[in-house]
Amino acid sequence: MNTSPLAWLNGSDAPEKPSLDIGFMALTDCASVVVAATQGFAQQHGLTLNLKRQGSWASLRDKLASGELDAAHCLYGLVYAVHLGIGGVPASDMAVLMGLNQNAQAINLSPALQRKGVTSPEALARLVHQHGAKLTFAQTFPTGTHAMWLYYWLASQGIHPLHDVNSVVVPPAQMAAHIQAGRIDGFCVGEPWAAAAVAQGQGFTLATSQSIWPDHPEKVLACARTFAEQYPNSARALIKAILAASRFIEQSQENRHSTAQLLSGSAYLDTPLETVEPRLLGAYQDGLGNHWQDNHALHLFDHGRANLPYLSDGMWFMTQFRRWGLLRDDPDYLGVARQVQQLALYHEAAEALGVPCPALPMRSSLLIDGNRWDGSNPYGYARSFRLHALGDTPDARIGL
Amino acid sequence: MLRILLIDDTQNKLGRLKAALREAGFEVIEAPDLTIDLPACVETVRPDVVLIDTDSPDRDVMEQVVMVSRDQPRPIVLFTDEHDPGVMRQAIQAGVSAYIVEGIHAARLQPILDVAMARFESDQALRAQLLARDQQLAERKRIEQAKGLLMKMKDCNEEQAYTLMRRQAMSRQQKLIQVAEQIIAMHEMLG
Repeated sequence: MNTSPLAWLNGSDAPEKPSLDIGFMALTDCASVVVAATQGFAQQHGLTLNLKRQGSWASLRDKLASGELDAAHCLYGLVYAVHLGIGGVPASDMAVLMGLNQNAQAINLSPALQRKGVTSPEALARLVHQHGAKLTFAQTFPTGTHAMWLYYWLASQGIHPLHDVNSVVVPPAQMAAHIQAGRIDGFCVGEPWAAAAVAQGQGFTLATSQSIWPDHPEKVLACARTFAEQYPNSARALIKAILAASRFIEQSQENRHSTAQLLSGSAYLDTPLETVEPRLLGAYQDGLGNHWQDNHALHLFDHGRANLPYLSDGMWFMTQFRRWGLLRDDPDYLGVARQVQQLALYHEAAEALGVPCPALPMRSSLLIDGNRWDGSNPYGYARSFRLHALGDTPDARIGL
Repeated sequence: MLRILLIDDTQNKLGRLKAALREAGFEVIEAPDLTIDLPACVETVRPDVVLIDTDSPDRDVMEQVVMVSRDQPRPIVLFTDEHDPGVMRQAIQAGVSAYIVEGIHAARLQPILDVAMARFESDQALRAQLLARDQQLAERKRIEQAKGLLMKMKDCNEEQAYTLMRRQAMSRQQKLIQVAEQIIAMHEMLG
């Protein structure tokens, strides 16, 4: 890699590389990236962002690791899997520049299960345990957030995600089609694809990801570590642009509404506004006749609470990789998180914009199974679950 | 294997470089002289490097080179018998690596081509970055101008004007710059 030919020209903090290729997947939680790129936020920070929509997380990962993409809207877990060398590509140093959002993923079941009356966690557990049904669930990437929410939720209901059910990988936008074709019985995916399945009469939402962990970490702005090291000014400017965009989106209900209109366009989600908007605004209906306003719906900003790259958030994904045997040995949880999470760059960017930064890079959360995670004892936490695969070797069913 | 478009623009057509290039292991595609349409030829042949062997790089030669640099950018290496430093400077400004052909040995060709390609790549990157910067500046100016017009029209402050423009752009699935251009065009029309 060459350093930028312009690096020597810039005394100040002007971006070394002013034009960046940014990957994203067609998901509601890419909102702040799209708004930053198209609504003048990037320009104000000396950047041009060329948005590159990707068809699958695997191809986004490959382009991010090869440097074809400078940065991307990315699954939290995916960044750590690439960094640790789990999965299809050799280990390659990665960086998390900021959090992009919390919440707004969901687990859906098929209309066939709905017709059988399997509309509650208890009914699902009964079906799996008493009738020996081996159901197939889809997630979006073997080490991604959706696999981890699905596994965590199933385990919290007494269903072993690796032994009691089958797991397959399906790109987010294709979930409803796979349900319709009867190839899968359920899935975990980001919005608007769970809402889209409900709208098309293809099943119902059994659990939201925020019911597993209110305000859980989800997508991040990721790049290869070499990018952050070679172009620190570009990386900081990129954080500023996206942080400013996320603040703008959450400034008013009208801004959120306009954001939904923009996202529904063919260049982004290519999905009707009626499918994108309700859950973006927190208005949920599950397809079983229940409606509610969700207090832990999509957070893109939440006064900066959704954006700080907490060390404990990054560490959590490693504890789950360990729990499910994706990591056979314990990594240096804190050490790896310190390498990956670019706290210094984030702090500089947030301070420049006047966005509050929590003082501690750890946070404490209570999850659905009653376990508390605060980052203090990752080794013990990874071993604290009744259902696990600590002794297993990664196996073929989860696509590795 | 590197694919080289070799243009023999010398009077005697000695083919003095062809043998040396083949010997050094390159794939050589020949063109007779610069009466060809060089940009079109580059488009068809898709060479990794364009190599021009010429007695003297006159205006016609430089014209062709400039056209390629603009439309079909490729590393261009020019070998010439011309010793005039002014001519060489002109050639280098047009974006080529220029060498005096005298005493060129096969063994020296590889490093010469490597340097030409490396330099080409960094020139291209620099050009793309400068272009991006120019475009950003131009767009920022237009957006500022539209914002100013809107502040007058709506009697609002800067932040409100930005928000209005952004909401308009987002609800139409457009970029901010597009709405800025519409505001400016509307203002010009209404005078």
